Amino acid sequence: MSDDMTMTSQSAHTALPGQERYVAPIEETPLHEVDSVDEAAPAASMWADAWRTLRKNPLFIISGIMILAVVFVALFPQVLTNQDPNYCTLDNSLEPARAGHPFGFNLQGCDIYARVIYGTRTSLSVGVLATVLVVLIGSLIGALAGFFGGWIDAVLSRLTDIFLALPILLGAIVVLQMFRTSTSIWKVVLVMALFGWVSTARIARGAVMESKNLEFNTASTALGSTPTRNLFRHIIPNSLAPIIVVGTTSLGTYIVLEATLSFLGVGLPSSTVSWGGDISDAQSVLTTDPMVLFYPSAALAITVLAFIMMGDAVKDALDPKSRTA
Amino acid sequence: MSKVMNTANNLEALQREQGPLLEVKNLQVDFTTDSNRVVHAVRDASFSVYPGQWVAIVGESGSGKSTSAMAVLGLLAGTGHVSGGSIKLDGQELTELKPKDFDKLRGSKMGLVPQDPMSNLNPVWRIGTQVKEALVANGMDISHEKRSKLATALAGGEVAVKSADDELFISSAERPALMEAAKSGLQKAGVDGERFEAAMQHFEQEWDAGSQTRWRVADDLIQAGMGDDEAWAIAKQYVTGSNMEDRIAGLLSEAGLPDAATRARQFPHEFSGGMRQRALIAIGLACRPDLLIADEPTSALDVTVQKRILDHLHNLTDSLGTAVLFITHDLGLAAERAQHIVVMYKGQVVESGPSLEVLQHPQHPYTKRLVAAAPSLASQRIISAQKQGLDAESLKEHHTKDDAALERSEHIITVDHLTKEFKLPRRKEMFKAVDDVSFSLKRGTTLAIVGESGSGKSTVANMVLKLLEPSAGTVTYEGKNIAGFKGKELLDFRRHVQPVFQNPYGSLDPMYSIYRSIEEPLRIHGIGDTKSRRKRVRELLDMVNMPESVMGRYPNELSGGQRQRIAIARAMALNPDVIVCDEAVSALDVLVQDQVLRLLNDLQAEQGLSYLFITHDLAVVRQIADEVVVMQHGKLVEHATTDEVFEHPKMKYTQDLLDAIPGGKLQLGLD
Repeated sequence: MSDDMTMTSQSAHTALPGQERYVAPIEETPLHEVDSVDEAAPAASMWADAWRTLRKNPLFIISGIMILAVVFVALFPQVLTNQDPNYCTLDNSLEPARAGHPFGFNLQGCDIYARVIYGTRTSLSVGVLATVLVVLIGSLIGALAGFFGGWIDAVLSRLTDIFLALPILLGAIVVLQMFRTSTSIWKVVLVMALFGWVSTARIARGAVMESKNLEFNTASTALGSTPTRNLFRHIIPNSLAPIIVVGTTSLGTYIVLEATLSFLGVGLPSSTVSWGGDISDAQSVLTTDPMVLFYPSAALAITVLAFIMMGDAVKDALDPKSRTA
Repeated sequence: MSKVMNTANNLEALQREQGPLLEVKNLQVDFTTDSNRVVHAVRDASFSVYPGQWVAIVGESGSGKSTSAMAVLGLLAGTGHVSGGSIKLDGQELTELKPKDFDKLRGSKMGLVPQDPMSNLNPVWRIGTQVKEALVANGMDISHEKRSKLATALAGGEVAVKSADDELFISSAERPALMEAAKSGLQKAGVDGERFEAAMQHFEQEWDAGSQTRWRVADDLIQAGMGDDEAWAIAKQYVTGSNMEDRIAGLLSEAGLPDAATRARQFPHEFSGGMRQRALIAIGLACRPDLLIADEPTSALDVTVQKRILDHLHNLTDSLGTAVLFITHDLGLAAERAQHIVVMYKGQVVESGPSLEVLQHPQHPYTKRLVAAAPSLASQRIISAQKQGLDAESLKEHHTKDDAALERSEHIITVDHLTKEFKLPRRKEMFKAVDDVSFSLKRGTTLAIVGESGSGKSTVANMVLKLLEPSAGTVTYEGKNIAGFKGKELLDFRRHVQPVFQNPYGSLDPMYSIYRSIEEPLRIHGIGDTKSRRKRVRELLDMVNMPESVMGRYPNELSGGQRQRIAIARAMALNPDVIVCDEAVSALDVLVQDQVLRLLNDLQAEQGLSYLFITHDLAVVRQIADEVVVMQHGKLVEHATTDEVFEHPKMKYTQDLLDAIPGGKLQLGLD
């Protein structure tokens, strides 16, 4: 260190020890171009970046594989079993597992394995449809409230508050009681959407209000852009991340809700194969044959777990706070 | 004069005798990234600070200046750790200390004044409580002053400080009686007339409860003309030590907060930025540390406030004998405040030495670059590349453009009696953000609007851009009132008047690639097809000296200066006549700022652009503007050419702004 010290003759008085004039050798401290661009680094859009983070997240990989498996089962149940889930004879009532019937039979004598496999489609389609509807309705209402503000916001926000005050389960029971005769899965989907859009609307409103006030919108207006154009080109794309996060996470909860409603007997009709219905039916034999309850419950738990894990992974990747820096 | 010289010599002798207070040798600080890569944030840095000395570390963001300071305090963020070298405070090695031992040193031996006054005070606690926390945490004696050995030794040259009780504080309960006693004592000693008035006024100002000590009181009384014995008798009788409330108020008033006892009961949100920073200074100095680390303490504040706070801090640390390690990005400020400068660049110390010497004879190419770019030190407007005769072709173009321009109106934008009122919540009367402002922008020139935060300058810019409607008055563009612009006419106006905003992190959509960002104005105005737009974006990137490869990148990958260059390219896309730069370079490092200013200047010369340049920084104005409008509290206070404003400012306010430019009066020579 002291070898590099360069004393200058201009010093009026001798400097204090350790504070002599020092100039670093230029070879060791090369000068760079002012503010040069690192051209080697790969380009990263927000989505590409999120994908890169996701790809490395074990949570995402595990839950992704699980979800793919569940989707496959839902699409092609016949590949996994040749049994008819609705073929039940009391001869087989509560029979234990045997070749071709790995999970045994339930009280009605139906093949539990086949029912679990075929139930996947019901649960998944209800969950996906409800989530899609909730995200569409919720983000539309939230975006309108957040973007226009004023009385539109006041009216929509009060509406949101009213729905928020209604417990979703209670509301669903009341409404579904009125449509007991309908056998379509749509009645369950619509009821869930009716009571579920509120949380998405709140999040969408917040996200839109936040990105509405960002400077790039002012910049775009000054470039000649109209408010509507700003809404669709800048504000909505910048508000998507939190909506996607809440959508992914809530998919699991809608699957559970469907099972709960079916369990309570107000959800899907008993003619539709569903996990919730099977869990409900298994109640009566819980003490003697717990495995009848176990299989549909396990299928439900694994599927929900997969979606909630996926939601967590997506949240990590898209968390808007970590992306502003 | 000789007394000052003597003190200076005494100080240096004492410093030599005591040795350095802080000695950093070959310091190495590493950070580990998410992908386990090691980043050397500080490499082989050495510097020392002597007792009672101001030492400045200067560097751009990312140079390792703050990291070095935080390593000294043992407050490295995240994965940062000292991986080599030594840090010695008063002979004690700090690099091997456990976190618990650091807690004992911080506050009592080392204090910190952090960078951001807005986020460093707890919003739910009263200011006084936060000062008290510092005192209690370090078990401070609140009735006695704790003065450093150095300060005591220096003060001992003037007054003999005999015992520890001579350092007792005035208490608020006894202060009125003390004032009475001082008054009658002076009268008895035969002091009268102007001298008496002056002395009493001095006492009134200086004798703050919880801050002024017994021997200072005695000394003041003796200076005012009282006999030694009488003075000491009064001081001993009436100065008997303060309680916690007095001490808190005393510390706050020391830091320059007026009416400190009342202020101590307020919450941070009731304070302005400057007042918060004073409160943080009070907290940093509460336990009388030997070393105060001030990390860009005034960078977020207006220049005039910055000057007042630093002046005050300087007096305070001098009287306490506190050494200050001053971290700043501003070379002018560093040279003005510190005796010794350490210049850091990319984690290394590239040059260090006595302030003036480094500034006047910079030797390392980086320091030379810094000195050349420092706006506070620049003496004249940047000479654009064209004027230096580098590009004769475009110079010719510029002239032809000039001739054409003369045939049209001379003033491209005229602002006439512009007023903007805002309704404040819970207030009846309207708040006048802009009050009757008139000026005009000549074609092909730059007009700067200067003012502190809250002066209304940005509101004017937004009205000129037609982003806000004026309450009264007009803005005329090319002889037409912009208030009536709608539809096609408005689109046409937008095409010719473009903005560049302050925050380079906010004004580009993070979801848009650089290509889409620059292309957006072309798309909005329906200009060209995909192929021709791509060509135009390429041209624009070239214009702002950015490589073509950035087209596919996103704003979060670029630095602040690079984003600002992209914002300029976007503004240039439609071949505008006027660019409104709202604090466009304020957030940038000096070198990058210099680069952007040069770019703006070159573009003006090439394209005959007119700039409306909004800034709080008069130093920048000198580099770029032809004319200056000074605003204060929404009103226009001065309007003249740049040379006139700098050489013969007419208003006191303008003079204050000029005086506050750090390092403005330093003599420089590049060699």
